[in-house]
Parts: sequence; C-alpha cells; structure tokens
Amino acid sequence: LTKPVELPQGTLEMLVLKAVSLGPLHGYGILLRIQQISGERLEILQGSFYTAVYRLERRGWIKGEWGESENNRRARFYSLTAAGTRQLRSETEKWNDMTAVVAGILAKKADEV
Amino acid sequence: MNFSGLIRKLWQSRLPRTSRDVEEEFQFTLESYQNDLMDQGVPEEEARRKARIDLGQLAGQNETYRRVMGLRVLDELSGDVRYGFRGLRRNPGFATVAMLSLALGIGATTAMFSLIYAVLLHPFPYADAGRVMNLFYLDEERPDAINFVSLSKPQFDLLSQAPPVDSVLGFRPAEMEITGGALPEDVLGMYLTENAASFLGVRPLLGRNIERSDAENGGHSVVVLNYQFWLRRFGGDPHVVGQTLEINHAPYTVIGVMPRNFAFNDFAVGDVYLLMPAAGASILEYLPWIKLKPNVTRAAANSALEPLVREFSKEKSGRLPEHWHLALQPIIWTFQQEVGRTLKLLLGGVLLLLMIGCANCSILLLARGRARHHELAIRKAIGASRWRIVRQLLVEAMVISCTGAVLGVAASYWLAKLPLLLAPKSFPAESVIRINAPVLAFSVAVALLCGLLFGLVPALRLSRRDSAPMFTARNTGVTSAVAGHRWSFLITAQVALTLLLMATAGTAIQSFVELLRAPLGYDPANVMQVGIRLHFRVPAEWDRVQSREARMTYIEQIRDKIATVPGVSQIGTGTFATPPYSGNEYPVEIDRTVNGEQPKARIIMVDQRYFVALGIPQLQGRAWDQDENNRGDFIAVVNQAFAAKYLSQSAALGRRLRISGLTPRNRFQVTSQQSTAWRQIIGVVGDARNDGLEHPVLPAIYLPYTSVMDSYAQFFVRTQGDPQTYLQTIRAAIASVAPDQQVGNGGLAGTFTLNEALQRAPQYSAQRLLSILFSVFSAMALALALVGIFSLVAYSVAQRTVEFGVRMALGAPRRHVLFVAARIALASTAIGIVIGLAAESYLGAVLSRWMQNTFAVRSLFAAAVLLGVSALLACLLPARHAVQVSPSEALRYE
Repeated sequence: LTKPVELPQGTLEMLVLKAVSLGPLHGYGILLRIQQISGERLEILQGSFYTAVYRLERRGWIKGEWGESENNRRARFYSLTAAGTRQLRSETEKWNDMTAVVAGILAKKADEV
Repeated sequence: MNFSGLIRKLWQSRLPRTSRDVEEEFQFTLESYQNDLMDQGVPEEEARRKARIDLGQLAGQNETYRRVMGLRVLDELSGDVRYGFRGLRRNPGFATVAMLSLALGIGATTAMFSLIYAVLLHPFPYADAGRVMNLFYLDEERPDAINFVSLSKPQFDLLSQAPPVDSVLGFRPAEMEITGGALPEDVLGMYLTENAASFLGVRPLLGRNIERSDAENGGHSVVVLNYQFWLRRFGGDPHVVGQTLEINHAPYTVIGVMPRNFAFNDFAVGDVYLLMPAAGASILEYLPWIKLKPNVTRAAANSALEPLVREFSKEKSGRLPEHWHLALQPIIWTFQQEVGRTLKLLLGGVLLLLMIGCANCSILLLARGRARHHELAIRKAIGASRWRIVRQLLVEAMVISCTGAVLGVAASYWLAKLPLLLAPKSFPAESVIRINAPVLAFSVAVALLCGLLFGLVPALRLSRRDSAPMFTARNTGVTSAVAGHRWSFLITAQVALTLLLMATAGTAIQSFVELLRAPLGYDPANVMQVGIRLHFRVPAEWDRVQSREARMTYIEQIRDKIATVPGVSQIGTGTFATPPYSGNEYPVEIDRTVNGEQPKARIIMVDQRYFVALGIPQLQGRAWDQDENNRGDFIAVVNQAFAAKYLSQSAALGRRLRISGLTPRNRFQVTSQQSTAWRQIIGVVGDARNDGLEHPVLPAIYLPYTSVMDSYAQFFVRTQGDPQTYLQTIRAAIASVAPDQQVGNGGLAGTFTLNEALQRAPQYSAQRLLSILFSVFSAMALALALVGIFSLVAYSVAQRTVEFGVRMALGAPRRHVLFVAARIALASTAIGIVIGLAAESYLGAVLSRWMQNTFAVRSLFAAAVLLGVSALLACLLPARHAVQVSPSEALRYE
C-alpha cells in the first residue's frame, strides 16, 4: 500500500504546468494525468486544484480554449504558452537544485559532518 | 447600487471569463468525475455526493475564481460598507454627532479651500493671467503704497515693442452717460485698446469682443456689454447684438456681451467696453496691463523696462517721486496683499476645527468600541485576523467621514459665500465661488484623510490581542481606570486646539473693537454724502456751468437749497473729500523751509462749512469766510499732522505755502486765478482720517473748493436722525433748483452715509470678517469639544456602573464619587488648557503680527475661563449619573 503525499505549497501549480506540457488537456484531464503519473499517491482535490489553474491562466502561463471532449461534450482545454514553457523549465531547475541540496544534507551521516 | 457595487461591476467587466463560463467548465469536471466513479461501481447518488465533497460546490466556484482574480477584497469591502451603514442606522445618536462633527470641519475646510481656489489660485478668466502684470513702481519713501504708471499713446507703443513684453493691453476707465432715455444714466465706461479680444482671450457670451478690425478706418463706434449691465439694462435680451446704444449722445453698435465671470477690472468694473479713441490719443492716458513673454522673470522684466519708464517720467515732470524703482506685479498681487493673509489665517482656523472634529469622532468610536468588544471578540474567536478587523473598523470610519463629507460639501456651498458677503470689496469681482473638480477632489481627499486619522487610533486599539479577555468580562461593569487614560489625550488635544481658536477669535474681536474705537478725527454719525455730477457731456448744459463762476453759483445754489430741508443741521461742500480716504497728494513749497526734504501733502478741496459738518475741530486760527471761499486764493487751512511735520507748532499761523501743481488736470477742471500762488495758513484743524484706517493721518492742506473745480461736487449733509430718511426730500430740493440734475449713484459723486464709507474700508471689512468667522469657528470648536468631553464621561460612567455602586454601598460621599467619575476628563481638560495657553503665548506673537494687532492677554484668559467652566459642566452632567446609581441595582449585574 502506498501512502498519500501532501504537496508543499506552490508545487501543485508546477505539476499542472507539467501535465499540460505533455499536450492540451481539460481540467479533469489534468487531474487524472497528475494522479496517473504520480501513481495515485497525490491528494490534490479539495478545491485547491482549480485555484491553481485559474492562477496559472491569469499569469498567462497556460491558455484555455473551448473544444470538444472525448465523449463529444464542450470542455475547456488548456495548453502551455511560451511563457509557461519558460516558467516550467526554470521551476524544474529550481526544484531539482533544491531537492538535491536538501537530499544531500539529509543523506549525510553523523561521521561525515 | 452603491459605490463599491459599481466598482465591482466595472472590475467584473474586465474579467476575462464570465461566471457562466467558469461554471460550465466546472460542471463538466464534476460530471466527468461523477461518471468515472459510477463506472467504478459507485451508485449515482453516492457518486454525486463524493464529487462535490472532493471538488467543491458548483456555487462556490465563481467565488474561487474571483478570489484568484483579486476580486474578493472588493466583495468584503462592500460587505464592510453595508455593515458600517447598518451600524450607523442602529445608533442614530452616535451617527448624528459623529457625522455632524465631521460635516462642520469638512464643510468649513472645503468652503475655505474653494474660496482660496477662487480668489488666490484661479481668480481670473483671462488667458495666461499669471503672466499679466500691472506696471507698478515703488516709492522708496512710502514702500507700502501702490503706485501705477500711466502712459501716453507713443509711450504705450514703445512699451509694446520692448523685448520682454509679449503684448500690452491699454485701458482707461471713464464716467459716461447712457443718453436717449428720459433721464441720463450714469455708467462706467472702460476704453480698451484694439487688441482686447486677443489679449484677454475670454470667449464672449454673445457676439464678439473688441478686435483689431474695429480700429480700422479711424475706428468704429462699437460697444461690448458687461454681463451685469446687460442684465440690468437689457434684461438679458439674447438679441441685443446689433442694437444701438446711445452713449454720451453718440450712437454705438452693440457687438457683444461678456460672460458673467468677466468683470474687467479691479480698478473699477466697467459697464460698457469701448474702443480707445484714436483721435487725440497722444494726450489721453493709457493704463497698461503687460503680458510678459513666457519664461521671462519679473526681475528681468523690471530691469529691462525700468530705463524705458525712466525716459517716460522725464516727459511728464513732477509725477514720479525722486527715489523709485519699477516693481511689476501680477494682477492677482493686490488681492493677495489684502486678503491672502486673512484667508491663510482662516484656513488655519478651519483646519483646527477639522482636527477637533476628527478627535471627536475618535472619542466616539472608541467609546462605541468598548460597547462592541463582545462582537469583536467573537469575530476574533472565529478566526478574523487583526488586519481584517482593523480594515472593518477603518471602513466604518470611512463611512462616517464620507457621509460627513457629503453633508459638509453641501454646506460649504453656502459657507463659502459668507466671506464674500461680509467683505465684498476685498475679493476680485471675477472670482466665482463654485464647487468644481479641484474643490471636490480636495474634499474627498480631506474626507479620506479624516477617516484614516480618526479611525486608525480606535481601530488599532480595539483590534489588539490583549482585549480578548473582554469576552469573558462582558457586562461586569468593572473597567480599569487605566483604560480611560488612553483616550484622554484626545480630550487634551481637543481642549488645547479649542483654546487656540477661542483665543484667536478673542484677538480678532479685540482688534476689531479697537478699530471701531480708534479716533477718526471726525464724527461720521448722521452724515450723508450726496454727490452730483455736472452734465459735462451735453454741450448746451455744459456751457451753463463751464466757467468757474457759473459752476460755483450752481453748486452754491444747490447747497443753499439742501440747507433749507427741515432736519438738515449742517452742510459742507467739497470734491474728493470723503473720509477715510480723501485728497490728492501734491508737492508743497513752504516759506522758510529749514530741511531739504520736499514736503508733500494731501490737498483736500472743501468749503468753510465742511469742518463743522464733519465735526473736525478747529485747533488754531479760523476757517475762511464766504468771500474767501468764493475767491479761492491766498489762504489755506492745514491739519495737525501737517503742522507737526512741516511747521514748528507755535508758528503755524501766518506761515505761507504754495502748491505749484494746482493747475487743471483735465479739460473739465477750472482753477481760480492764482491757485498756484502763495497762500497764508489761517487755521489748523484736527487730524481726520485721510489715508484709510490702518495708516496714520497724512499731512493735509484744506483749500477752498473753488481753487480747483471739478465736474462733480460732494455735499456732506448732517441731519437729525438717520440721514437715509432725508434722501427723498433732498432729491426734491435739488430738483427744485435744477430739474435735470440727478443724484449720483457711486464713485466720487456717489450718495451714501459716512458710516457706509467707513465700513467699505478694506481694513474694516477684513477685521470684521476675521472676528465674525473666528467667533463662529471657535463656537463650533467649543461645541465639539464639549460633546467630546460629555461623551467620554458618559461612556465611562456607563461602563463603571458596578464600581460606582460598590463605592456608594461602601459609603463613599457623593462628592467623592462625582469626582472619581469626572476625574480623567477634568484632568485632561486642565492639561489641555495649560498646553493651549503655552501654545498661544508662543503663537500669539506670530498671530498678532499677522492680524496687525497687539496680542490680547485678556481675551486669552477669558477664553480659558469660559472653556474651563463649560468643560466642568460637560463633565459633571453625565457624572451625576454615577451618584444616582442605586447600589443594589448595580450589584445585580454581578
């Protein structure tokens, strides 16, 4: 059994960007994709999800357009803008740097300090 | 819809997505999730529930969207505003006092600002009015007098071409008659040079202004009407342009009407504007308004133009003093000199009033806040942040201040007119008081600032964490006395400011009373000036009085006839002899002059009965007799100031003097045969005001009015009782001698009582204005401060019911309880009075210089006593409730 993971603040937005970068998705599709990629370990529902989507759209990192869903219904599809692509790249770099530093510190044993 | 609702609507229209759009998207997500759950075997009802639990309600989604888009603050604000209004409705007494406190302050401040805006910042309708200068020069011997330079036509043309000058407008006022009707009507004509339209740049209400084309081919007979004249004479006829107006028996075509705010100019407002005549222009005098080129400083213009004016002064000898320099002044300058200081003082006064009003609101909010501790504690308990509570309290304060501002702006519309009514001559005729954009912006800014000012202290205090225990201590009625100390500084400040205002009012009143009591040197009561203007424009009538003898006979005839009116006790005659401003200044030669200084004196033309009629005492010698009056030459009477300055007092009589400037100054004047010859001083009279109320009496020489006769005459009629009631009989008396002779309306040949002339003096009206307005301000301030003290004591008594009950039950004497209840307010009032006294004795010196009067210690202490006594009453009235608390009832609260 896998334990659900709580996200640090602000990382949900990064995940949404990542999900959208793989191809245009509607809101529910983004949810599904994040859960699918994370192996169902993330609890991202609880209303905070759309807050992240609206915020990203407001900043111009993703762009929403009405289209048709797989079951032929009107749905709003989000895709990454150029600014969003840049943002995702820098966020990823920052995240990797930070986790590497933190992980390195945490991996230290008493005699190595 | 309310204001914040409007803002919300506007903001909403800028949102990229509509609420329907947001909801549709969310609806799709909800349904997709629900369908997935049902695919996994969850029953439909269960799936719908789980979807809403995990994702949220459809209705809440728009709120989320709006919060992300930054709209929620506005939503909350409008909630606070509505809550604030509701709170005010629930406490009408509190709301009324708070709003009126502010309305007084904001109304008075707005009124004063609109006045300052209209008078000092933007008084003139003319184009580039800031660059338009009066050609003043400064007499180094009398630096406080205003001196104009007037020019002949060639000089005017030279000045127009001077390098720093953009253009020059020449004008000359002239008394005229509208003829062609039953009786001629006196009007003031204003001649303007042909560049008037382009120079002034004011769009006429109807037709056009005087333009260059009017001067072509020797000039056309055209006339432009003043707005008030147009209303008076033509009843505001919109088709007046093109009609003919007969002025001085010559037809003029009306070409335009100027708008209401055009009142050219401050020398005298013209009724009709005419083209400056070209014929004989070289001897006529032009008064110039000089428009400097942009970016030319006044200093540069002064030094560039001074050589030119020095050249001019050589051409007309004797008019300029020996030591002078050019001092161009913007056209607003004379008004700034006269009223600028007064207005600044008044603005200071209303700002004090506003601060007192704000302090009052703070006290009321704090007092109400204590009653609201319970509500605020609950808000905090369920998670309101401190910032959220401060914001709510501030918004409530803003609601009060904005409502107060609306009332205040409405009131200021009338308040601003008060100074204009009280001192009409002190303000430019053009300045129209109105509520315009800058004034509105000012009052909105003041309202917001006030809300912040008086709302912040209570908001910060009431939102403090440590007030949470109040939740539990509710209604016990025991409050630490320390809590009361925290507001008492507001009372102290209020009292100190009020004392400052009251002391200023006292000083103003005292200066005004001193002005009223200052010796005038004459007795203005029951004396009326009746002026007549001779019909010099009608050649046939003018011929009758053109010679000196004929004119003298005519004037004496009318004088004798007025003297027969029953109730007229004395009557004197003169020209330009009306105090407190009388006489023209001339250089004088005196025999056996010891020092080299050129003596100068006001020459006042009167008859021998003038002194008796005005009650000017004869100190030495005698007045002249009728024969000497008819001859006009060889004799003179001087005032005491002249004798003291230029003659050794004992030997004044019999000395001789000569005024070589006593020659005809215009074609209407006639002089006696030897008006410039030596004259013997036959009498010395007391000093009667001749240079206004604020200046000392100038040396003056009284001469028989027949020495230099003008085209008008003034009769000074002393009557038994109010002279106004004799006006009809006097008119009839004049008509019985000369049926076509009218009695003058205004100006030198006007008809008015000497008391009216006195009240028109600028110093008089300014002092009256200051004392009335400051009395009003300080009365308002006193009322506000008393309300503040009253509410502080009343609230603290209400809060401490139990304490007083216990004190009474334990046998405390009533006097002691009363003292305990009023203690804090009394102490802070006393401190306030002390601070106020200290501040006033520091400021007093500055103020008294500004108000041109001595610092009034007496009025300061009178104000302090009045304030102290009324503050004591305001404390004791509500404190009485403390001793009326019945112990058993008070203890039942426990």
